[in-house]
Amino acid sequence: MPNWKLINQTLLYDGTFDGLLTIVFDCYTTKTLPQKIASHQTYEPNFLDKPRLIQTDEAKANRIFHGIEKVIGQDALTHSFYCFLCTEANKEITILKYLCDGFEIGPKINQKLTISYVYDVIRMHRKAFGECHRLKGLLRLQEVGPNLFYGSCHPDHAILEPLGHHFMRRLPNQNLMIHDQTHHLCFITNGKTYQIIEDTHLVIPTISKQEKQFQDLWKLFFKTIAIPERKNPRCQMQFMPKKYWQDLIEEP
Amino acid sequence: MDIFQKLKILADSAKYDASCSSSGSKRKNGGTGIGNGETAGICHSWGADGRCISLLKILFSNACIYDCKYCINRRSNPVARATFTPREVADLTIGFYQRNYIEGLFLSSAVVGSPDDTMMLLISTVTILRQEYHFHGYIHAKSIPGSSKELITKLGLLVDRMSINIELPSQDSLKLLAPQKEKDGILTPMTHIAKSIAENKQDHSRKKSLFVPAGQTTQLIVGATPESDLKILKLSQGLYQKMNMKRVYYSAYVSVNQDSSLPTLESPPLLRENRLYQADWLLRFYGFQAEELLDDTHPNFNTLLDPKCDWALRHIDQFPVEVNTASYFTLLRVPGIGVISAKKIVMARRQCHLDFASLKKLNVVLKRAQYFITCQGKTMYPRKELSPSCIESSLLRLERNTSPTSSALWGDQLSLFSHLPPTKEDKVKCLTGNL
Repeated sequence: MPNWKLINQTLLYDGTFDGLLTIVFDCYTTKTLPQKIASHQTYEPNFLDKPRLIQTDEAKANRIFHGIEKVIGQDALTHSFYCFLCTEANKEITILKYLCDGFEIGPKINQKLTISYVYDVIRMHRKAFGECHRLKGLLRLQEVGPNLFYGSCHPDHAILEPLGHHFMRRLPNQNLMIHDQTHHLCFITNGKTYQIIEDTHLVIPTISKQEKQFQDLWKLFFKTIAIPERKNPRCQMQFMPKKYWQDLIEEP
Repeated sequence: MDIFQKLKILADSAKYDASCSSSGSKRKNGGTGIGNGETAGICHSWGADGRCISLLKILFSNACIYDCKYCINRRSNPVARATFTPREVADLTIGFYQRNYIEGLFLSSAVVGSPDDTMMLLISTVTILRQEYHFHGYIHAKSIPGSSKELITKLGLLVDRMSINIELPSQDSLKLLAPQKEKDGILTPMTHIAKSIAENKQDHSRKKSLFVPAGQTTQLIVGATPESDLKILKLSQGLYQKMNMKRVYYSAYVSVNQDSSLPTLESPPLLRENRLYQADWLLRFYGFQAEELLDDTHPNFNTLLDPKCDWALRHIDQFPVEVNTASYFTLLRVPGIGVISAKKIVMARRQCHLDFASLKKLNVVLKRAQYFITCQGKTMYPRKELSPSCIESSLLRLERNTSPTSSALWGDQLSLFSHLPPTKEDKVKCLTGNL
């Protein structure tokens, strides 16, 4: 992005995707490039920084959102959204550069893999998306009340919302609670609507006898299905890293 | 007998089936019922042997009337026998699915009574799932060898994937080890399924019912009989071309029975199985032919190098290739460059010329590829170092450096080169059915 004015400022937003898109709008219209963008919740004040909070403006965010879809394409929207969910530092500035360049170039931006910020956006997208896909398989639900199922996970990235949507589509007749213990959030759905709440007042009820039986059946199946002659713990751990084991029912 | 005992016996009998994939079906939930197919498939757990667990893999029954010598459930084996009821299997599947343990059901069975009787039991189980519970998850059913066409069609309309295991890669082996099975009993239903899938694909009406949308697969046992790798690979190639097979699985033979006509192996031939899977990928995604990889003078795979490296070293006259101009399929033939890297290269080079640094930026792994490519005419190493023998020794050195010490497990695999430990890659990549 040539001819953009670098400004020695740190822009703060409220931690939502709309907030970030508002900043993208402001920077794109004024052709300025801030030094840093950070969420005000996680921002740590620094002697050298000049922070400025940008208020989220839904109208601006919507214009950018539809603009991305129209000018750069659906892929760019997915890339930047999953990249936003990723917990890497400097993701905001990477997204800003990617989108602003994308508005100039169009869908071809996704082919310019040798530009570092394009590659980084795609890499971070893959990281968050990959974890989401893994948890689609590894999340375990427990019946904690009549037709109420609870699942706990410790994801590195903030992928609770897409994860919750997957289960909402898949199990529309169950009431679900998906608990993200890293970010202290809980996704609650009845199959039709959903809500994401903070987990401060969350009480986890105990499981029933019938639930215990299913868990024991699953443990039995898990143990039985492995071929002892082919034992290969390294291979198992490569596919299912130990950090996920704490939330599993089975004991690998 | 309670459900725990039944599950233990019937999961234990089903574990030798390699297939556990849940991909290829797009069955969608319209807001009623339970489940939603995921085209890419989802693995839910990984067992102690490193194989993925995606489906509830069980036999309906293990009370078999046949006496196949390699099989743990042969009639003359003194193992505990059990049979589920259709209701039990359906309830177990739904219970597991609701808790996100599994992606669906893999239902196989020993032959109880007659092939047709067994098929009827499978059909009634699947009918409960699909019509009573409105289950939209994945179902993989085994077709029982020797069952009638009508029943196969009926089952095919309910499930996502069907398979009939060939198990023994030649008629002689079949005669020797599974005397009650016949080649036609396997190939006729296979052809029938292939034809029905093709017909179903031709039908473009909107109301058509799906017939085996995720295709059919089969499995071959490796190491129980004396067939060479070439023979096995040619068979797979034939199956892919003629039967439009989705996958052929290879299962390293595990000695479960003692019999004079069976080999006694200390450990399953995992390395050989891995090489066959590597070659299988080369057939399906890389445009290779079985005859290119192996021939009568080399009927078996190199134990030290993967099939593609081995091929490239024997055809060094075709290398190095220029990454900026080579076609996609030429790039795919470079060792170390796979489908993803080749696509990235083709995409990125439209925008700018590529050199070794930009390849690294694209995350193209150069460990093997560096010896076989040029970037704008330049090679990574002086050309005189690029003779097949030099490359081979560098490749082997690379592998050795990263390899942990050998374990006894691999001893009989590397009979010729037993002093060399297997590479790290060999161990980790004991590919199973999860890809």
